[in-house]
Amino acid sequence: MSAITVRDLRKQFRYAKSGRGLRNLIAPQYTNIDALGGISFTIAPGERVALIGPNGAGKSTTLKILTGILLPSGGNATVLGLTPWQDRMALARRIGVVFGQRPQLWSELPVRQSFALLRRIYAQDAAPFATRLDALSERFDLAPLMAQPVNRLSLGQRMRCEVVASLLHKPDVLFLDEPTIGLDITAKTTIRDLINAQAQSDGLTVVLTSHDTRDIELVCERVIVVNAGRIVVDQATETLRRRFLARKLVTLRSAAPAITLDLPGVSARPAEPHIAMLDVDTRIARIDSVVAAALSLGGIEDITIEDPPMEEVIHEIYAAASAR
Amino acid sequence: MKPTPLWPWLRGTCAMARVGVAATLSARTVLLGRALFYLLVMTVLTRFWTTVAHETSAAGITLPAGILAYVAITEWIALSVPAIHLRLEDDIRFGAVEAHLLRPIPYLLGQIGQTIGAMLVRLALLSPGLGVVLLTGESMLPPITAWLSIIALAVLGGTVHILLIALAGLSAFWVRRTVAAYLVMQKAIFLLGGLFIPVTFYPDWLARFARGSPFAASLYWPAIVVLQPDQSTVVMAFLAVFAWIVALSLLCAAIWHAGLHRLLTQGI
Repeated sequence: MSAITVRDLRKQFRYAKSGRGLRNLIAPQYTNIDALGGISFTIAPGERVALIGPNGAGKSTTLKILTGILLPSGGNATVLGLTPWQDRMALARRIGVVFGQRPQLWSELPVRQSFALLRRIYAQDAAPFATRLDALSERFDLAPLMAQPVNRLSLGQRMRCEVVASLLHKPDVLFLDEPTIGLDITAKTTIRDLINAQAQSDGLTVVLTSHDTRDIELVCERVIVVNAGRIVVDQATETLRRRFLARKLVTLRSAAPAITLDLPGVSARPAEPHIAMLDVDTRIARIDSVVAAALSLGGIEDITIEDPPMEEVIHEIYAAASAR
Repeated sequence: MKPTPLWPWLRGTCAMARVGVAATLSARTVLLGRALFYLLVMTVLTRFWTTVAHETSAAGITLPAGILAYVAITEWIALSVPAIHLRLEDDIRFGAVEAHLLRPIPYLLGQIGQTIGAMLVRLALLSPGLGVVLLTGESMLPPITAWLSIIALAVLGGTVHILLIALAGLSAFWVRRTVAAYLVMQKAIFLLGGLFIPVTFYPDWLARFARGSPFAASLYWPAIVVLQPDQSTVVMAFLAVFAWIVALSLLCAAIWHAGLHRLLTQGI
């Protein structure tokens, strides 16, 4: 049985147009906005899926419908066999949700007390809860934070606490809406590693929305790209990279201050002295030929061959979707 | 219709009440300030009534001792009620209510539970001030036998007060800024609830109307037991507050559901 099933999900928002005059006050005119135009997908138990797209694509709308805090205009969806908007409270016991931009802990209370209150709200037995809290606290390094009020924590510390809070009741599905937004690189890496480790140890199904492509690369094995309320791509992360970019990035470090390589299918990116960054279109130029040509120049001290960043993959997908 | 999980909801609401207790206790400076303000208000009112009360009784109430005992109770309750409307307004306006909807207890029940927890702390911490006013001032001291009823009615009357202010807070689904609704509600509570004088002093027609209103259930009925601790008044007071707790709870639930439907359909 799938963890999440979505069939032809649609959502239309209706807004009153702003206007002047008594006529507008008595009989306002409305405009409809299609946030979701009929999306369908299935997520298996234990899968980690990124839901990405440009601003206004429908990612957060999809997440809100799946967690039961927004009613769809059409279609249907089930999460763990439950219809989210009909069984919101029953579903709440089985899912964890982290909003990167909306804190869920009680800001004036110490972290430990917030967790204790969550135990009662989720009706968890004391002993197994304490064991789980100890394990999560150790994994997420929360011991130094437990006695502090949440509003005294840094953003990175607070996010670690928020993620732990969402996991304390042993959910089967974890929804994360921009969990690393506003965090520095170190904090982002920490959160990603911890989510990954916990998801693997608990067999969690993870659905994550993010604008940070490293979140996608390092946490999720599958990517669903949403644009203008429709799914444009639904593939494994690695397949996505290989399919959309027949390119490699070759970085050369040399003794000479500049390297010139004039080959079809090879273009140079701006780089520092002694470093050359080459974009290789593998449909035109073979990598071994490019490397051989570079080595024949002499003085090459280091060669790195890597895939282009996921950011470029996504950018290309958005561009292709907009062009349709 | 699906059966409601009452026991988990009750446990969750009690947990939220503990949130209210803990959060209120964490703001010690505010609590101290509130206790000092209570003493200040009662000092002013004591001076007022001892100065202006030339008669020894009015509307069956001894002056100034009876009035001061009465006002000591109404102020004790009024100053103990937290501003739930502000939290509702913030949560609804800025979308924090969405996070609360993802918990397995009803949002409004949790917020009212949290507010009652905070109110209990304030009632407890203001009670020494109440004792000082009743023992050392010009006011009369209610009989010992009435105190259990007075305390229970203060808690229940405070709950009515919370529900009335919650109605103002729920208007945030439609008007965003609840200050206007709150001010109207507050003035109605003060006037028709008899904050400064018992409604028995009002013209008959207004007194009857006020006594039957939810505003009197929040202040007048708990406080009048101080002056009239006879069984019929106590029973009437309990009936009035219980009836209005039920009626206002149903009204809050209905308005919440209407607002929630709007939220779930249109989002934040």
